[in-house]
Amino acid sequence: MTRASTLDPFVVGAVSSRLSSVLQEQQTALVNTAFSSIVRESLDLACAVFDSKGEMIGQSVGGTPGHINAMATGMHHFVSAYPPETLDPGDVLFTNDPWMTAGQINDISVATPVFRDGVLVAWFATCCHAPDIGGRVLSAQASEVFEEGLAIPIMKLFRAGQPNVDIVDVIRQNVRTPDETIGDLYAQASANAVGADSLLRLMDEYNLSSIDEIAAEIMSRSEIALREAIRAVPDGVYRSEIECDGFDGEGLFLALALTVADGEVHLDYSGCSSESKSGVNVVLNYTKAYSSFAIKAAIAPDVPHNAGSFRPVSIEAPEGSILNCRRPAPVASRHSVGHYLPSLIFRALAQIVPDRVMAESADAVWMTVFRGKRSGDQPFLFSHFLSGGTGARSCKDGLSTTSFPSGLRAVPTEVFETLTPMVQMRRELRTDSGGAGEFRGGLGQATTFHSRDVDSLLVNANIERTRFAARGALGGRPGLPGFFGDATGRSLKPKQALTVSPSVPLEFRPPGGGGFGDPHARVPSAVLADVASGYVSQEAALSEYGVVVRFLGDPNAIVRPPEAFVLDEDATHQVRSS
Amino acid sequence: MATPPSRREDDGARAMSGESGHRSGRLGIGVDIGGTFTDMVVMDDSGIIHVGKLLTTPDEPARAVEDLIRQTLGRAGIDPGDVSSFVHGTTLVTNALIERRGSRTALLGTAGFSDILEMAREHRYDLYDLMLEMPDPLVPRWLRFDVPERILADGSVLRELDSAYVEQLVTELVDHGVEAIAIAFLHSYKNPQHEEQARRIIERIAPHVRVSISSEVVPEIREYERTSTTVVNAYVQRLVKQYLDDLKERSAALGLPRPPHIMLSNGGVATLDTAGEFPVRMLESGPAGGALAAAAFGKATGTPDLMAFDMGGTTAKLCMIENGAPVVAHDFEVDRVYRMKPGSGIPVRIPVIDMIEIGVGGGSIARIDALGLLTVGPDSAGSVPGPVSYRRGGTEPTVTDADLLLGYLDATYFLGGEMELDLEGARSAIKKRIADPLGVSVEEAAYGIHDSVNSSMANAARVHAIEQGKDPVGQPLFTSGGAGPVHGAGVARALGATTVICPAGAGVISAAGFHTAPLAFDFVRSTHAALDSIDGQTMRREFAAMEADGEKILRDSGLRTAEISHRHSAEVRYVGQGFEILVPISPESDDWRAELKESYRRQYELLYKRQGPDVPLEVLNWRVVSSGPAPAQSLRRPRNAGDKPGNARKGTRSAYFPALGGYHPTPVYDRYALQPGTRVHGPAIVEERESTLVVPPDSECVVEDDGTLVLHLLSPAHSTPQDGSLR
Repeated sequence: MTRASTLDPFVVGAVSSRLSSVLQEQQTALVNTAFSSIVRESLDLACAVFDSKGEMIGQSVGGTPGHINAMATGMHHFVSAYPPETLDPGDVLFTNDPWMTAGQINDISVATPVFRDGVLVAWFATCCHAPDIGGRVLSAQASEVFEEGLAIPIMKLFRAGQPNVDIVDVIRQNVRTPDETIGDLYAQASANAVGADSLLRLMDEYNLSSIDEIAAEIMSRSEIALREAIRAVPDGVYRSEIECDGFDGEGLFLALALTVADGEVHLDYSGCSSESKSGVNVVLNYTKAYSSFAIKAAIAPDVPHNAGSFRPVSIEAPEGSILNCRRPAPVASRHSVGHYLPSLIFRALAQIVPDRVMAESADAVWMTVFRGKRSGDQPFLFSHFLSGGTGARSCKDGLSTTSFPSGLRAVPTEVFETLTPMVQMRRELRTDSGGAGEFRGGLGQATTFHSRDVDSLLVNANIERTRFAARGALGGRPGLPGFFGDATGRSLKPKQALTVSPSVPLEFRPPGGGGFGDPHARVPSAVLADVASGYVSQEAALSEYGVVVRFLGDPNAIVRPPEAFVLDEDATHQVRSS
Repeated sequence: MATPPSRREDDGARAMSGESGHRSGRLGIGVDIGGTFTDMVVMDDSGIIHVGKLLTTPDEPARAVEDLIRQTLGRAGIDPGDVSSFVHGTTLVTNALIERRGSRTALLGTAGFSDILEMAREHRYDLYDLMLEMPDPLVPRWLRFDVPERILADGSVLRELDSAYVEQLVTELVDHGVEAIAIAFLHSYKNPQHEEQARRIIERIAPHVRVSISSEVVPEIREYERTSTTVVNAYVQRLVKQYLDDLKERSAALGLPRPPHIMLSNGGVATLDTAGEFPVRMLESGPAGGALAAAAFGKATGTPDLMAFDMGGTTAKLCMIENGAPVVAHDFEVDRVYRMKPGSGIPVRIPVIDMIEIGVGGGSIARIDALGLLTVGPDSAGSVPGPVSYRRGGTEPTVTDADLLLGYLDATYFLGGEMELDLEGARSAIKKRIADPLGVSVEEAAYGIHDSVNSSMANAARVHAIEQGKDPVGQPLFTSGGAGPVHGAGVARALGATTVICPAGAGVISAAGFHTAPLAFDFVRSTHAALDSIDGQTMRREFAAMEADGEKILRDSGLRTAEISHRHSAEVRYVGQGFEILVPISPESDDWRAELKESYRRQYELLYKRQGPDVPLEVLNWRVVSSGPAPAQSLRRPRNAGDKPGNARKGTRSAYFPALGGYHPTPVYDRYALQPGTRVHGPAIVEERESTLVVPPDSECVVEDDGTLVLHLLSPAHSTPQDGSLR
């Protein structure tokens, strides 16, 4: 068979862009066939393609960084556990080992080897958050990973196209959501098959018997590009630290020394808190996932993410620390710590490249699990996601209620209420929650849940930033911290399964993002517009921004047009110059 | 060679009583308002008999329509009273949205949820870009209101609508100059009572205010997408309604016997009343006409399955035609605000001909990306400064510059010679920005740009096809747009296609398309039930009711019952999934249930390569498309004064073909002088005023009777090319 000249840059470019579209096909198939709302509505997923040795060549544009990058390292475990001679066409492997893959026992990676003329030429993989995997209802309360659910070592989910009925039955018997958990595994296998089908077609068209050489070229070009981008950043050691809630008031400390030298970045997390007794521990794989995500987003967002672009970034966290926990530490709520890493890294980078980063964001996604039973019905279990605001940028406000750093998507209220006997009573922007600054942090939200005719309700709010606000950058102020409690304003304990009275409304208020730059430098007309829109109150306009806004409209009217709010320029000048 | 007669065998059956006898069957006119031109075609059963074109009059769009119809019919000596059908499409809605020219609109939401329009799905559409921007909502926060009311997921009422609040609110809104109100309450797709009640209050207090309610605009679950769509509908409704009223009056004054039908985004048509109620469904009516035309050409050339590819200055559009009809989707996005990225626009849920738009056109800029690889688009030099070769200040090399350098375009015959292109400028820009950094020759760089565009289109086409479970390999390609025929052969090769269809009169292609599809109306009824629990009688009643609605509208449009047919389908998925597949159903069959299951499973495996798990199926919606007979028109275009029989060969120029080792003396033909039946061997170039067809080596171009050029790409083994020889 004649081989295309694989080093022809035009062919490399063509195959590279073709692979991106193959990955998009893979993700579309996954979302369209998934059963759990976590995957199909909230996109808690990742899709990627690997060469024959398991090196990641590319990832789909959707998905969430913790899964994508963890899969990149995780694939090596699949490849070494199942060498090509142990695999047949139609085989599909899977595992949920937290240390090998995405750091949480609910996250199941499904990997499919691709064969061409009997030779293993590539892998497709997906990683999705299973709605349930048995064990406790997801929370940080476990003291060992064994309590957190069924462990699945790397094994075959399908053998030559036929389901491995033994393991499927074991899973069905162990989980609270058998149809969804198994249905999603089928969706993952389908998505991989769709990707494989398109890859084989590509290889036919380009007359390629292997993609390894082109893959290596894509990776090496990505590596070079990332190194060049890093070289544009001043060498030096930059430090930062963040405090976060942890479990039950323990308080955790994350510290970073970021070294830029000679086109490489080294992240040293020595000095972080030690492993927690509760399930907020992060495996090293997940630490690497969010670290490399943040470096690339800040320094080289246009360089594709693959095994090559990981190479110039090295990561070190002491074994036994919160960012490199040992078996059998509990890990179910690892995102509540891991999601802080990008803000920690941006804080260090803000000292040298402030225009490339954001102030701190709400960070950890608010994931709440509701478990209950309405009389006469089957018990329900639902995983719900909420986002706060992102940090402001050097030239733009932060984004309100937008997931960062995860790539998750909100569940529509209508879908949530259709699948559960819960009622969401409001979902609105939280006034004054965005940190003040020349550019304002994104707003968090306020939402209230109620249950309807439910006999018993168990709630676990896997949430963060209730004690430590998202800090601003370069003189920007912090956003408001989050709040979880009941309607009377009494706060409730996060990250543990609470049995609540079904009649009590539950209040969730995810935090706002931090501001960027001095609030007094914000253009007064922008503050005026924020007040007219209700993003900022008149009081905060004065106290945070030094801007005096007067409302001249009818206080009893429902409609308050922007022209009813007037900027008092003299008073503003006085306040700002005093 | 295939000739048209077989297509006309049912003329007799289609002839309508009372229509004029001296023309060949029914007369129809199609008018399409585009950004620059308003186009018109007059058709009878033999094909296009007249065309017309006038500048669009944006301040009063119906004026150009009226003038154009009067002039064109007058010139042709046609009595407007003889026109039996008038179909119309317009970009009015899209432009109003992009330019934010709609009404001052308020949104009434469920208490606690009026921020939905801004909070959206809380999702970043690009994972790595920290500088993302979200679209500004069409309704600012001060015009979004929390209306005390609440309906639950099962349709039951948790909290009654507070009528007094709505009354006071509407009174105030009128004082503030609000002209349109969108109402989108939670779960209204299940129970529309509160939305209807609120609308009645508004109609009573402020009858002049336009109201759109989500349970009518898009009665589907997922509140953000439903609210967004309803807001768009309300926002443009006044503008559209005024326009349609104006158009109706002018068309009656012209003596046209029936008011126009409006082309919708899905390729169906609507009455003026329906279009005025749901203007959001007209969003893509012009492109829909283009897709229908492609389908008609495909049928005429014996290729009912094809890909339609339209490439203009800044973007290219691509659409799958299956079994003579374009494929319809349900999601669309308007006005992408951030680097053309998907996700940065306003989502609307409407039935729309499934077209992908790719940021690659003649003006797209080529550059070296972060990996040191060549990339083209999505940023475009537009028409100002335009490609380097336009000499309008452009400095970045574009696709047009590359095509010029390759000899595909003629520097002296661009736009029929109206504009001379700067070949040397193009060469030096490509050398400096592309060839030198890559270390290749300037010709290789130019060909790299040309080829990269072809691959991008082919990639997008492939994803698009696969998302629909279709196999893109080998499908004929239909090309239009200024840059389409230049790239058609390359895109086809990249897709493994062997046929490229290049129509005559591509300039009025959308307007012609309006008349190539049967008059068709869509109906939908929600059911949401487990397939096994559905009772056949109930199902048949639902379908019968939709058929009756369809029949009434079609009869009002002048069709006879015998001419009307209905297509039935069901939206099916596994219980627990969130996305469904549209599957045909035969309601009258005794085995309808088993057949539905079987065809669902077949289609599922085709799309997703595996069987789903052992889970029951559920049905979301029943759908009916009621349509009249398929028109028999070909899109034949008459030979007219513009055509120049005689020597078609204009000369020879050097054009670049890698298969021939580089530049090669290539014959150039004048399309207007090519006679039907002519065959041109590649390499060759066929020029017309608006475009240029590149006929590569190992291919043959055939001139069909209707003026269509059909390019057959041969595999090298089959051909012994006698370069440019006529046969």
